[in-house]
Amino acid sequence: MSDCYRLGIDIGGTFTDFTLYDQINKEVIVEKVLTSSIAPEKAVLDGVEKLAKYVPNFYKNLYEVIHATTLITNVILERKGDKTGLITTEGFKDILELRREVRYDIYDMFIKFPPPLVPRELRCGVEERILASGQILKPLNRAEVKKVALFFKNSGVQAISIAFLHSYKNNSHELEALEIVRNTLPNIPISLSHQVVAEPKEYERFSTTTIDAYVKSTADKYLEKLVLGLKKKGFSKKIYVMLSNGGTATVETAKSVPIQMVESGPAAGVEAACFFGGLLKRKNLLSFDMGGTTAKLCIVENGSASKSRNFEVDRVHRFKSGSGLPAVVPVYDLLEIGAGGGSIARLDDLNLFKVGPDSSGSNPGPACYGNKGNKATVTDADLLLGYLNPDYFLGGEIQLNLSASEKVISDTFSKKTKLSPIKAAAGIHEIVNENMASAARVYIGEKGKSASDLSLIAFGGAGPVHAVSLAKKLGIKEIIIPPMCGVMSSLGLLTAPVAFEKYKVVRSLIKKINFKDLEKDFSTLEEETMKHMDDSANLSIKRCLELRYSGQDFPLEVFVKNNLFNKKVIKEIEASFTKKYEKMYGKVDDENPIEIATIRVNVIQKVPKLKLSDTKKTTLVKHKSERKIYELDQNKIVSVQVFERSKLANGQRLEGPAIIEEKESTTLVKSGTTAIVHETGCLIINIHK
Amino acid sequence: MQTNPSIKKKIKLDAITIQILWNRLITIVDEAATGLIRTAYTPSVKEYHDFCCALFDANAQMLSHSTITTAGFLGIVPEVMKNFLKAHPKNTLRPGDVLITNDPWIASGHLIDISIASPIFYKKQIVGYTLCIVHHLDMGGRMATLESKDVYEEGLKIPILKLFEKGKLNSTIFDFMKANLRVPDKVLGDVRAQLVANNVCTRGLQMLLKEYQLSGLEELGSEVIKRTESSLRKKISLLPDGSYRNDVILPLIPKCAAKIEIKTLVTVCGDEIIIDYTGSSGEVMAAVNCSYNMTRSYTSYPIKLALDPDVPNNDGGLRPIKVIAPEGTIVNSRPPAATWGRTMISHLFPEIIFAALEKIMPSKILASNGGSPSNEVYLHGRGKDGRSFLAIAQHSGGYGASKFFDGHSCLCFPNNTSNIPIEVTENEASMYYTKKELLTDSGGPGKCRGGLGQEVGFCILGDHTKINQYVETSVRLSGRTENGTFPVAGLSGGRNGRGSGMWINKKAVEHGIYRRLQPQSMVKFIISGGGGYGEARDRDPQKVLEDVRQGYISMSGAKTDYGVIINKKNMTVDIKSTTLLRKQKNG
Repeated sequence: MSDCYRLGIDIGGTFTDFTLYDQINKEVIVEKVLTSSIAPEKAVLDGVEKLAKYVPNFYKNLYEVIHATTLITNVILERKGDKTGLITTEGFKDILELRREVRYDIYDMFIKFPPPLVPRELRCGVEERILASGQILKPLNRAEVKKVALFFKNSGVQAISIAFLHSYKNNSHELEALEIVRNTLPNIPISLSHQVVAEPKEYERFSTTTIDAYVKSTADKYLEKLVLGLKKKGFSKKIYVMLSNGGTATVETAKSVPIQMVESGPAAGVEAACFFGGLLKRKNLLSFDMGGTTAKLCIVENGSASKSRNFEVDRVHRFKSGSGLPAVVPVYDLLEIGAGGGSIARLDDLNLFKVGPDSSGSNPGPACYGNKGNKATVTDADLLLGYLNPDYFLGGEIQLNLSASEKVISDTFSKKTKLSPIKAAAGIHEIVNENMASAARVYIGEKGKSASDLSLIAFGGAGPVHAVSLAKKLGIKEIIIPPMCGVMSSLGLLTAPVAFEKYKVVRSLIKKINFKDLEKDFSTLEEETMKHMDDSANLSIKRCLELRYSGQDFPLEVFVKNNLFNKKVIKEIEASFTKKYEKMYGKVDDENPIEIATIRVNVIQKVPKLKLSDTKKTTLVKHKSERKIYELDQNKIVSVQVFERSKLANGQRLEGPAIIEEKESTTLVKSGTTAIVHETGCLIINIHK
Repeated sequence: MQTNPSIKKKIKLDAITIQILWNRLITIVDEAATGLIRTAYTPSVKEYHDFCCALFDANAQMLSHSTITTAGFLGIVPEVMKNFLKAHPKNTLRPGDVLITNDPWIASGHLIDISIASPIFYKKQIVGYTLCIVHHLDMGGRMATLESKDVYEEGLKIPILKLFEKGKLNSTIFDFMKANLRVPDKVLGDVRAQLVANNVCTRGLQMLLKEYQLSGLEELGSEVIKRTESSLRKKISLLPDGSYRNDVILPLIPKCAAKIEIKTLVTVCGDEIIIDYTGSSGEVMAAVNCSYNMTRSYTSYPIKLALDPDVPNNDGGLRPIKVIAPEGTIVNSRPPAATWGRTMISHLFPEIIFAALEKIMPSKILASNGGSPSNEVYLHGRGKDGRSFLAIAQHSGGYGASKFFDGHSCLCFPNNTSNIPIEVTENEASMYYTKKELLTDSGGPGKCRGGLGQEVGFCILGDHTKINQYVETSVRLSGRTENGTFPVAGLSGGRNGRGSGMWINKKAVEHGIYRRLQPQSMVKFIISGGGGYGEARDRDPQKVLEDVRQGYISMSGAKTDYGVIINKKNMTVDIKSTTLLRKQKNG
C-alpha cells in the first residue's frame, strides 16, 4: 500500500535525525547522520538515501516530510547571513545600535552586547516621516531611496531591511520604498517592518525585520535545494516546516517568514514531550533536551507548553535575557542554556572549572570523535567516567577514542590542578549539571512552578546521561526517558499538527466593541490564516482574545468557545479575564476599563495520530555486559551492569547503579534510583534516595 | 509575636540547600517585578524600569532585590522598611495591612517615588516583608524641575499611612491623590501594580516556606547576608590600605547661584571602606539635595560593582561600606530641602570614587559616563482629544572606556533605566522626534575609546493658531562641558567625552527648566560621549580606520585626536605618515 510513510527530519547542531513512521505497521524507524554545517541539505539527502536502502518501497510509500532545522539560528550566531542594508527614517539610523540603552545586568560593569547585524555604514536614513496617528508629516523622498538603493548595489548588499517609524500604523512609505528599491535591485530579499511585526516599539520591530532580511536568502536557497534534492531522489509530495511555536507550515509559508523558523527544532522536541506526557498521563512536565551544543528546558502545564512573542537570538552573556538580538515572533517559552555534550571545559584564571557555553559543535567535535578536536568536552568526560561506551556510540557507527579524551582532560586540567583525569572528568560532569540546574531553578520560579510537582522528561543525545543528576539537584522525583530519546525532535515533527496563527491589533474598549465588527475581524483573520494551509480537511479553528486593563501593555489570553458575539458572551469573556487576573496578581480592584488589545486565530489541522505498537516483550533479560563507571555520589569507581534497552521486557525493574544502552543515547541509572520499563517503551526512573 | 515551638524545621541548611534557597529569594522578587511590569500603566514602569522590589526577613533585613532595578535604590531599600516599622511596629501589623509613603527622608529621597510595603504572614506569624518602590509620573506640585526652592513646591507628600487596614482600602488616600495629580488614573494604576508586586512576592515566599517546611527566614537570611558581607570584605581586604582623595567642583545648577563642591575621601582600612564627604557644600535652594540614604546608594554601588559583582546583593553588601555625610550638607540634606533632581549630585558619586581609587585598582574602573547625571525629558500638555498627557523619556550618553574595553555608545550608567521607545512617547505626547542618532567624534579619544553620545531633537505638534496646544517641557542634562570645571573625564591619559548643550529653535538655552513650548517649537540637545582610557596615540590605527569607516570618528578626528592619517581613496591607513605624525605628537 502506498502513502503510508511520514518522515520527520530534524537538523541539530551535531546530528541530523530521521524518524520514519509506518502507519500500517505502527512502526518507527530511526536514522542519524552527522550534520553538515556547510551544506545542511546534504546530510538530509544522505540520510534519506540511507533509509531508502533498507526501507521497502521508501519513495513510493513516503507521502509527507516534516522538517525542522537550526539553520536560521546558526546563520545568525555565526554571522553567515547576507550582507544586509537598512533603510530607515532620516535621523534614526542608529536604532539597531542604541538598543534600549540599558545594561541587562546591573552588576556587570564590562557588559557585552551582540554587534548589530547591520554595521553603521550600511544603515541609511531617507527623508520621510509618519506620525503616531498614521498621518504623513513628510512624504517619502523617492530620489533619496533610489540613491540608497544604488549605494547598496555598489556596496554588494545582498538583502535589505526597510523599517520606518510608525509603519505599523501606516505602511504606505514602506511599500513605496520597496517598489523603488525593486527597480534597482530586482532580485534580492527585502523585508518590510510592518509585515514582520505589526506593533509599535521601534527597536524590537527593526531588529526582527533585519534578522528576517538577513536570513531570508539562506532559508530560501536551503529550502529550494532541499525540495529539489528530494525531488531528484524521487520524492515530490508534501513537505512541511516546523515553526517556533510548534505549528507546521508549508514550505512557501516558511519562506515568507523565515524568522519564524528560529526555534523549530526545540519546538518539535516540546511537541514530542507533550506527546509522551499524554501517553503516560503525566500533565505537568519539565521537558529537558540536551544535545551537542545546548540544553533546552520547557515547562508543560496541563499538557501544553506556554508560548510567548518575545524571543532573543544570539544571547552573548550566558543566555541572559537582554543580551541578545530581540525577535518578536511566536515561540514556545523555553529556556536555552549553553550546556551540551560538545560544551567545552576549561580552567579559568583562578584555576576554577568552567564548562560551556561555547561548544565544539560537530566539527571538530569532542576529542574522542578523533576529528582533530583538541578541547575537553562534556562528552569526553562522560566517556572517561564510563557512562558512554566507546564501541557503541550511535550503535557503533562512531568509534570513540578513549585515550584521546583522557589525554585532552589530562592536558587541560591535571597539570594545573593536580587532579587525576577521572576526578577532573567528574568535575566537568558535576559543573555542567549544576549550570543547568541553577538556570532551571530561576526559569521554573519565573513560571510560578515548583520543581517537585514536575516529571523530568529527558531526551537528546546527552539528556539521559545527565537526567538523574539534574532531577536530584532540582528535587524532581520522577524521570521519564522516552523511547527513541536521541531523535525526539524529529519524532515530535510527526506528532505536531499543521498549524498557523495570525493576530490583529484591535485596541478597543470591550464595552464599546461592536459585535459585528469583532465577528468580521475574526472571520477575516481566519480567512487569511487558512491561506497558509494547503489542505482544508480536518481543520479546527481556535479564537483567542488578548485582554488587559486599558492603559496596560501586557494582556492575558481568553479563549472563546462561542463564535457568535453578543452581550452575554462578552460578559463571560470579561468575567474569565478578571478571574484569571486575580489568580495571577491577587485582588487589587482595578478601576480602569477592560480593553481588547489583540485578537488571534489559530488554525490547526489534525494529523494522523502516531501510534506506537507495543510489542509485548515479556522475557526479562539479563545484562549484556558489565563495566566500571565512576559514581559521583560515592566518589569511587564501581562495577555496573549494562543493559540493551531494545531487549528489555515490559515491566522490567532495574536497580541503580546500572547503564542502559541504546543506539542514540545512554541512560545512567544512578544508585538510589529504580528504573521500570513502561509498556509505552518509556523508562520511568524513580529517585528514592 | 512569639515563635511557635511546635513548628519544627525539617530541613538542614547545607551549602547546596542555601544556594537553592538563595536563588529562590531572588526569583521571588524577580517574579514580583514581572508582575509589576505586566500590570503597570505608565512607560515609567513598563519601559523605563525605574523601580525596585525587595524581600525582607521578619527583622526587616533585606534579603534580595529584583534583578531589574536602578542602582539608586540599593542603599535606600533596606532603610525604608526599617522606617516603616518604626512607625508601625511589627506587633501592630495585621494580615491585609499595606503601608505607604513618599516622604523623601523616610523613603527614597524625592516625593515622586512611592514606597508600598506589606507584612508577609505565614501560619499566622509575620515571616517577612515585601516592599515595592516605583518612580511615578507625577506627584503634583511644580512637576519635575530643578527650580523648586523647597519640598513644599514639589508636590503632595504622603506621610507613612496604612493604605489598606486588614484588607480594607483607606480610600481617603486615593481621593487626596486624585485631587492633587495631573494624571491620576495612570499614577493610581501604577500604585495598583505595586500592590500586585507585593501580592506576588507574598505568594512566592509562602510557597517557598511551605515547600521546604520552614517556619521562618531567620536562619537562611542571616546565612545569605553573612556570605554576601564576608565575600565583599574579603575583596576589600585585597586592596592596599590608605586614604585616597578626590575633590570636585560641579557645574552650576541652572537658576542657582551656589557653587557646589563635593569633597570625597575614600579610606581603605582592612576589610572596610569608609567614604567621607565631610567638607562638601551645604544644602542649596535648588531641587538637587540628596537624602543620606540616596547618597549611601550611589556610594555603595560602585564598590560592590567593582569589587564583588558576582555575589548577589542584600543587607550584607552594605555593611563593609561606611558612608560619612555631615547633616545639612548637599549629600545629607534636611527637610524641607528640595530634592526632585537629587540624582544631579548622586549619579556622580561612582565616578568620583572610581577616580579616587584609580591608582589602586586601575583595571576595575570606568572612565566617566557622558550620560551621568542622567538625562530626563518631561512633556505635559493636552492632546488633540483634550486629554491631559504627561510623558517622560530618557536618552543615555556614551559609556566610559576602561583599561581593556572601548565604551559602549549610549549606555545608561550608574542608574540603569531603559530608553522609552520613540513610538511609545509619540503615542503619548503631542510631539515627534526629529532626530536620535549617535554623534560622531563625541567619544573621548583614548587607547580605548569612550562610547559615543547622541543628538536628540523633537518638535511640538499641534496648531499654533489655537490656544491651549502648548506643551510644558523640561529637558534635564548633565550640564558638563568638555572644557568646564567638571568634564566627562577620561582616565590614564584618555581624553574627555565631548558634546553638550541644549537649543530651542536654534537658540542655546539652560537645561532643567520648565518651559511652555508652542506648536512647531524645535528642541535639540546633545548628550555627551564617554571618557577615554589610555593615550589616544596608542590606539591601534586599524581600529581608528574601522571607526572612521563606521562614522564613529571623522577623518579629521582620526588625524587630530589619534594621529592617524587615512588614505581616502582606498580607505587604508597611511602607515608612513601616521608613524611620522604620531612621532611628532610624542615629541
